[in-house]
Amino acid sequence: MVQDGWHPTVCYQCKAECAILAKVQDGRVTEVKGNPKYGGKACVKGMAGVTLQYAKDRLTKPLKRVGERGEGRFEEISWNEAFDIIEEKLRSLYDRGEGHKLTYSFFPHSLTDPKWHFLNAYGGYINTGLPHCDSGKIVSEIKCWGGIPNHHIPPAWFTMPKDGIILLVGRHAFGCLDDACVPRDIMEAMDRGAKLIVVDPIFSPDAAKADWWIPIRPSGDTALFLGMIHHIIENDLYDKKFVEEWVREGDFDKVKAYVKDMTPEAMSAICDVPADDIRRLAVMCAEAPAVGVDGFKSIMLGQALDFGHAWSIFLAITGNLDNPGGQPIPELTPLSPVEPQPPGPPPLNEMGFHRTGPNRDAFRNYSFILEPTWYEAQAIKDGSLKILLVTEANPALTEMGNKEWQKAVCMKDANGEYMLEFLLNTDIMLSETAKYADLVLPDQTHFERYELLYMPWWYNFGHGVLLRQPLVKAPGEAMHSNLVFIEIGRRMFPEYFQFKDDVEYYDIQLRGLGLSVEKLKAMGGKWSPGTMGFRKYRDGGFGTPSGKVHLYWEDLEEVGQQLPRAILAPEYDADVEEYPFIMISYRRIHINGTGPWSSNNAQLRDPASGQSTNPAILNPAAAAKLGIGDGDTVTIKSRTGELRMPVRLTEHIRPDCVGIMHGFGATVGRVAAGAGHCDNELIPDAGSHLEWQDLIGGEAHVSTRVRITR
Amino acid sequence: MHQLGLMIDMNKCIGCKTCVVACRNHHGIVDHENCMPGEIPFYIRVESLTEGTYPLVSEHCWVVPCQHCKNAQCIKACASEAIVKDPQTGIVRIDADKCAGSRACIEACPYDVIQFDAVRNKAHKCDLCHDRVVAGEIPVCAEVCMTDAITFGEVEMLRQTALDRGREIDRKKSAMSIVYLKPTLKNTLAGV
Repeated sequence: MVQDGWHPTVCYQCKAECAILAKVQDGRVTEVKGNPKYGGKACVKGMAGVTLQYAKDRLTKPLKRVGERGEGRFEEISWNEAFDIIEEKLRSLYDRGEGHKLTYSFFPHSLTDPKWHFLNAYGGYINTGLPHCDSGKIVSEIKCWGGIPNHHIPPAWFTMPKDGIILLVGRHAFGCLDDACVPRDIMEAMDRGAKLIVVDPIFSPDAAKADWWIPIRPSGDTALFLGMIHHIIENDLYDKKFVEEWVREGDFDKVKAYVKDMTPEAMSAICDVPADDIRRLAVMCAEAPAVGVDGFKSIMLGQALDFGHAWSIFLAITGNLDNPGGQPIPELTPLSPVEPQPPGPPPLNEMGFHRTGPNRDAFRNYSFILEPTWYEAQAIKDGSLKILLVTEANPALTEMGNKEWQKAVCMKDANGEYMLEFLLNTDIMLSETAKYADLVLPDQTHFERYELLYMPWWYNFGHGVLLRQPLVKAPGEAMHSNLVFIEIGRRMFPEYFQFKDDVEYYDIQLRGLGLSVEKLKAMGGKWSPGTMGFRKYRDGGFGTPSGKVHLYWEDLEEVGQQLPRAILAPEYDADVEEYPFIMISYRRIHINGTGPWSSNNAQLRDPASGQSTNPAILNPAAAAKLGIGDGDTVTIKSRTGELRMPVRLTEHIRPDCVGIMHGFGATVGRVAAGAGHCDNELIPDAGSHLEWQDLIGGEAHVSTRVRITR
Repeated sequence: MHQLGLMIDMNKCIGCKTCVVACRNHHGIVDHENCMPGEIPFYIRVESLTEGTYPLVSEHCWVVPCQHCKNAQCIKACASEAIVKDPQTGIVRIDADKCAGSRACIEACPYDVIQFDAVRNKAHKCDLCHDRVVAGEIPVCAEVCMTDAITFGEVEMLRQTALDRGREIDRKKSAMSIVYLKPTLKNTLAGV
């Protein structure tokens, strides 16, 4: 499709979507590397994209289920038949006035995604196709300083000044899920004199390079931060100028009064970090020219929003917002809308599937902007989710309580009809989810498709657009899901689909920048102002109603979350006696998620270049008490699940924890099937454990308590 | 003396294995359609060492490519004289045309870095990206290293650079043409 040589495009081996160069030779992609114009690094997953591209498991024809859901038996059909089936199913629900009972799971890696345009025309909802990971952080930041929803926004480590502090709290930054440049940028910041401090129950590769590893009790992060906030305020170490100018009047005093008794000693008892260390870290942060905080697993727990809130307060009182080294605030790129604009679905908080079932009251303060993926199984049982479309996601394996999800999609009503009327899966290979799908469509890889990637924040350059472009032919009849939904859109809502294909759709949007796909291509595939902008709030304030930072959330007074609670995650408070260990799900750079993109990739599963399996990791001291030796097979049991798996003894973990690497346990895929064990089987289904959930905007989905026996 | 080599900074290597995959892709030694985990050849591998006990633990990583030895055992072991140390670069190269597939070099190599292609009946290994180097480029592993932990150059210059930066060379590991920089002490703020 293109001439031999190196071509700029965008990786999609994970959600970071790094700018890469791909080498094409005789119509084949042969090599990948970072694009030196935009950061210059690609990670091992990106490199292994070549193996994914040519894997034997690639789907080449639309498949229709024969037999029951879960059996994984299909027959090949034509695209025309596939389109007719989709149209008929979607029309049926729409014509009943229940368009809001359709949800599409896909990663919204671009606000320009044509699938989103279709959803807005249809009146269905989007969820991310995977747990929302950092919704606790996103909701918290929007409440504190406004801004634009965007998936994970880490500090731009390359802006960290000498003597700044890089504080990773439950974040494996070297895993490169933000950008492949992150490890280099952190190392270079350290060369300049910045300190790397890693707060994590697991001694991660990041911790191995750190100036200080703080092995905190899982979910103790809120207490740690509240203890630091207490010490900083009580000792007058806060950024007075920023607080006076930019924190809403009265909020700081409320925080000060609230944390008065949250002494380092009191917080130490919760988080298991020595009080002196809390004080020392607080002073270091207060005195540093900048502190950048990043967290991920720490905001995937049942008190996620509490930690997001404590983290936000900490950043505000230390003046680390939108400054070099601190927390960046995103902004929008001025693209043109595609007219006429579809109306969009009814308000999520009125008709979203989490709001229409028996748990409606429990969700009354839920404030995340997308449907909670983890509630899908319950919504199917409630009859409030009727059609589920899934692209490049694998809820059958990815969801906590994945067995419950599998059960729910197979449930039938009194007439013997599936309660979930239609389940569509588009992906490049079969996955566990495909086994349950009524229709499986062969999708295209990032080397085969166009995509205008438009984000309010790119790690390397702030806001802007990147162009993913087809470099080689897709196998068989594989078609990009964006084109599938443009076709369905043209059939069902022609008034909103007045463009012929994805390129024309992107051309319309690019007019706002005076560009087109062709022009963008000629520019090397990127448009950005070239400045991420610092302290943008000085030009018009923060994006909150007052224009100031809101540390106090009066709207959550009724649920007692107006300020962060110094609690451990509720899923850790339950069953302490019966299940003495905390199971921590973790990942390494070779793993994106449970989808086939990284798990069904031979290079990423090869012992020399990836992770071949995932024995549970256990501290030798803890193992000795249980009479467990290295390599023994043990039973790990939680409230709802059980795994029989080998253990590896290592000093890299707290003695009260057991670690299981995420991304294993697949049953589908030439490479993936049979390797390792799935952590999600131990984690109770969130929908049936609402008491453990953060029902404001976070979620509990990575962890639970377990018992280990030989 | 002409001797090219690599310098591996154990302060920076994070054990990500990106170099392993990039190297395979560049040298075309991975059969993307058919390969299975555990069966793919590799010219560079990652090793690591953990020391200490919880919570005072340390770990460092490094990569092991062909060491392009001074008096290479593989050269001595090869009855077909298929392996030579290139006088222009000091790179130890296997001439595939001469290789008779005896595997003697694999047995002889003290670093266990030589691979065997059973289909072609040939030994093969890292040649420090000779094709790139003579064209003025650096080896792929050095180009793609995520943390710039791998530096390419003349070994004497690499050693000089290490000293200029005040870094200690791991003498045991650096006996041949790959220079390993000892990691400096980490976790120094713990338990202060």
